[in-house]
Amino acid sequence: MKLTLSGIDRRFGDVQVLFDVDLVLNPGEVHALIGENGAGKSTTMKIMSGYLAPTAGQVLLDDAPVTFAGSQDAEARGVVLIHQEFNLAEQLTVEQNVFLGHELKRGPFLDKRAMRARTRELLDRLNCQVSLDARVRDISNPDKQMVEIAKALGREARVLVMDEPTAVLTEREAEVLFEQVDRLRAEGVALLFTSHKLDEVKRISDRVTVMRDGRVVAQAATAEMSEDDMATAMVGRDVSSLYPARTRPVGEEVVLSVRGLSVPGHAADVSFDLRRGEILGIAGLIGSGRTETMEGLVGLRTATGRIEMHGREVRFDRPRAALAAGVAYLTEDRKARGLLLAKGMRENLTLQSLSDFTAFLIDERAEDRALDRAIADFDIRAPHRKVEVGNLSGGNQQKLLLAKTMLADPEIVVIDEPTRGIDIGTKQQIYAFIHALVADGKSVIVISSEMQEVIGLADRILVMRQGRVAGELTGDEIGEDRIVRLAMGLDGMRGAAA
Amino acid sequence: MKPDLHVLGPILALVALILVGAAMNSNFLSAANVTNVLSRSAFIGIIAVGMTFVITAGGLDLSVGSMAAFIAGLMILVMNGLLPTMGPGWPLVGVGVGAAIVAGLIAGFLNGFLVTTMRIEAFIVTLGTMGIYRSLVTWLADGGTLSLDFGMRTVIRPIYYDGILGISWPIIVFALVAVLGEIVMRRGAFGRHAAAVGSNDQVARYSSVDVNRVRMLTYVFLGLLVGIATIMYVPRLGSASSSTGVLWELEAIAAVIIGGTMLKGGFGRIWGTVIGVLILSLIDNILNLTDGVSPYLNGAIQGVIIILAVILQRERKAGG
Amino acid sequence: MKHLTTTLLGAALATATALPAFAQETQVIGVSIPAATHGWAGGMNFHAQEAIDRLEEVYPELDFVLATASDPSKQVNDIEDMLATRNISALVVLPFESEPLTGPVKAVADSGAWVTVVDRGLAQEGIEDLYVAGDNSGFGRVSGEYMTGALPDGGQIVALRGIPTTIDNERVEGFEQAIEGSGIEIIDMEHGNWNRDDSFTVMQDFLSKHDRIDAVWASDDDMAVGVLAAIEAAGRDDVQFVLGGAGMKEMIARTRDGDPMIPANVTYPPAMIATAIELTAVGLTSSAPVSGTFTIGSVLVTQENAEDYYFEDSPF
Repeated sequence: MKLTLSGIDRRFGDVQVLFDVDLVLNPGEVHALIGENGAGKSTTMKIMSGYLAPTAGQVLLDDAPVTFAGSQDAEARGVVLIHQEFNLAEQLTVEQNVFLGHELKRGPFLDKRAMRARTRELLDRLNCQVSLDARVRDISNPDKQMVEIAKALGREARVLVMDEPTAVLTEREAEVLFEQVDRLRAEGVALLFTSHKLDEVKRISDRVTVMRDGRVVAQAATAEMSEDDMATAMVGRDVSSLYPARTRPVGEEVVLSVRGLSVPGHAADVSFDLRRGEILGIAGLIGSGRTETMEGLVGLRTATGRIEMHGREVRFDRPRAALAAGVAYLTEDRKARGLLLAKGMRENLTLQSLSDFTAFLIDERAEDRALDRAIADFDIRAPHRKVEVGNLSGGNQQKLLLAKTMLADPEIVVIDEPTRGIDIGTKQQIYAFIHALVADGKSVIVISSEMQEVIGLADRILVMRQGRVAGELTGDEIGEDRIVRLAMGLDGMRGAAA
Repeated sequence: MKPDLHVLGPILALVALILVGAAMNSNFLSAANVTNVLSRSAFIGIIAVGMTFVITAGGLDLSVGSMAAFIAGLMILVMNGLLPTMGPGWPLVGVGVGAAIVAGLIAGFLNGFLVTTMRIEAFIVTLGTMGIYRSLVTWLADGGTLSLDFGMRTVIRPIYYDGILGISWPIIVFALVAVLGEIVMRRGAFGRHAAAVGSNDQVARYSSVDVNRVRMLTYVFLGLLVGIATIMYVPRLGSASSSTGVLWELEAIAAVIIGGTMLKGGFGRIWGTVIGVLILSLIDNILNLTDGVSPYLNGAIQGVIIILAVILQRERKAGG
Repeated sequence: MKHLTTTLLGAALATATALPAFAQETQVIGVSIPAATHGWAGGMNFHAQEAIDRLEEVYPELDFVLATASDPSKQVNDIEDMLATRNISALVVLPFESEPLTGPVKAVADSGAWVTVVDRGLAQEGIEDLYVAGDNSGFGRVSGEYMTGALPDGGQIVALRGIPTTIDNERVEGFEQAIEGSGIEIIDMEHGNWNRDDSFTVMQDFLSKHDRIDAVWASDDDMAVGVLAAIEAAGRDDVQFVLGGAGMKEMIARTRDGDPMIPANVTYPPAMIATAIELTAVGLTSSAPVSGTFTIGSVLVTQENAEDYYFEDSPF
């Protein structure tokens, strides 16, 4: 079956995330969809598979326009999306999962025999040896991937869309997956997958579509594009005037020195220095261990390694210790980790520094004064002072979170994804604010998945890949191309070891 | 600010109950009856104040009733055991009181330790300790009743029955605990932290709040209050048995919820709990003072009122 | 009736000791009783354990399994386990409740084992080989008769009931029949659940509600403790006396010592479980005729005979 996207637009409220996307999936062809985080890949896949409806444009199946009522409708028509996070019931067996929600019945009873036979047949088709009675929690990741695919095939999938299928697989496991992809291609299934690993794209796909900022910027047969071409197509924008110019040079004094920081399971042997008044950017793909490394630094995760501030060794075994030493961490996940959504602004603002407002009792007037200042300094726009924080817009939540972090008066601020999901105007305010911080002699570490943001803000950039520092870029070296190459392991500065 | 009906809900329920009681029986508002109701509310009330903190911080403690029985048994045994050497008198009462407080702190610490450090579900931990304390007190009492030596009973009796200016000690202690609890919950950093932890422990952790310490302290604080409640309880009848404190945990939890604290944590108010406790005691009292309702139905009436109180609150909340 | 039992028991014991162990294979007697959740049950547990300890010495060929249950379903499990894993030859059971236990106990009887039921009858007749029963309506009647004697001119009394059960109903009915036409009026009655705290609360409220109460039928000594504390706290002197029941040793002692508030008691001996176990052991090891029904009557205890009902070692 052939699936076509034609002139697809998609808006979320005022924000348009897809612009005129055209894409054709042919039967017996493997299509790779690549692009930076936030380029619009997920939205595109969701529109293909009925999870989202397009705002404008058409989805066509075998050249006939269709409107999917939902993902189930799409599945019924043979279009199945396999999520990056497996969508399997861990406690059930392989066989039960394959037919979950679509059990075969004989009268009122489950037809176990038929389901077993069919499951075996599907798994055999995928050359997968896993036992039908094994519980899904006990089987390996590639086997889970196979069960997901078997499940999709069990629904007569003719178009299979896979969101980063290899993200959780080792190289060898990925190899097993690719063999099966080859088989499916041979059977005439239309496949689309996303990946950040360009070597994989090169190895397995027939066609490549590159997206950037919600638009298709390149589309070609894989054989016609080198990995470098792909990377170049993925980046390549101008840095706009969003980013303020430096008003004061970076200081000489090293305020923070990290040596051999390791966070078990996430990061190994990370070392870097941070100077007074410096903005250090940390780039890398999602899952490269950036966040975990910084959480390890401030005592939110168990970590080993040596940390020095102003040349003296310090130990941050808990967040409070880091905060007391003047290191604050601002989480990337403001809804789940940053703010108490059901509480008001005052309670949120002072939560981290409550002891400064407490003698024997909390001084609520002092809290109110602090909130007044925060509202003024950070331009927080709330309908009224008692509003539940969950009802604020993302941008105002982010400003409140910044205000909360700054209330502890840290010397070093680690900001993880400073502008995720917020509008351009607020972004600009936040960038200005970060510059004001360093002008004031504080030091900032910015983690961002938005390449431009890192480039626009940072004086120096560490690129992380697979839990290690893949390279460090300063001055003229800084550029999207270099960062992408380091992040994807194409450049061999130090990343080759990994 | 306009008056919030959600806040007024429990108060209105209490006022309604008082009106019903006064209409049913002329003795309802007599000093003696009011004293009776308030004094007997004190045990559950003191415990419920502690329970409010535990629930606000996202925890639960099912063991308080058994814990009270166990501490009562222990307090009696300690006093009986030391009676030959110390003789009856206030020093021995002091020892008994000390024993109850220490036992309460240890029991609370144990619950807290298992919940925080060992990371076991609070429901399971306290269900376990509930069984443990219940059978320990049965064992201590050899299946029967532990009775305080008669001489000591006369000495210790005033702790329940006497008071200042006609207000009995249990009422005074309950009031003090409630007022202090209200202040700590509303204006103390601890209360704010407990609400933050119960609201979202990740946010609390990322805000440099020591989540385990806050949780632990709520359990220790509750244990202490169970100890204090026991100190009020033992002088009343001078005995403890395996039937002491049965279902206190559920009454305390019900009072907390009636008072408007959220069972899933994140928000708690002590004054609401106090009203919840009074509502529960008044229902019993009114049913005893009234003819015409089959005593078999007491439980049903209580249940209906509890559920109504909570439903009223929710609708008010949605509306307001 | 109590005499009958004791005599027969003595005879049976004599037979048993006269025919020393036949070196038979060991037989197991299962004993299933409610846990010690209140005073009387505590006494019953004490007597059961004591009887088992004693009988294990007397009968080396007998093994005893004692299980205490805190609710009926636990008791059902206990009995099923005994039958399945211990291959019991006899079961002595004090059912928590009649209905739920009838089936499981019948299964034991059907397996060929000897069944002794104590105190609370099963819902179906003829299952048990031996029924050792307390006399609940007799308990109520004796209490009522004492009340009419103590208040010859009639009066206003309040009554505290136990946990709502058949036992409680039988007692109250017996009591009400006994005081009928005597001029004694029960002006209020509530459940004190055989519990000191509950009866204290109920009595406090009775005292608030009624200006004159001549006497209290507390119907149980645990409840009498709570009632007395409430009366004392209220400082009321209109209440002439409190009649408890079941013969708790502290209460028997007060009667013996002439406490005017506790002038009498009515027995409902928790030791009936010991009698039942002993009779079962006799039945299993000898040919003495022990099947049938043995009713252990309730006896009025007053200052004169109180000494006979005071057991120093019992926890109850």
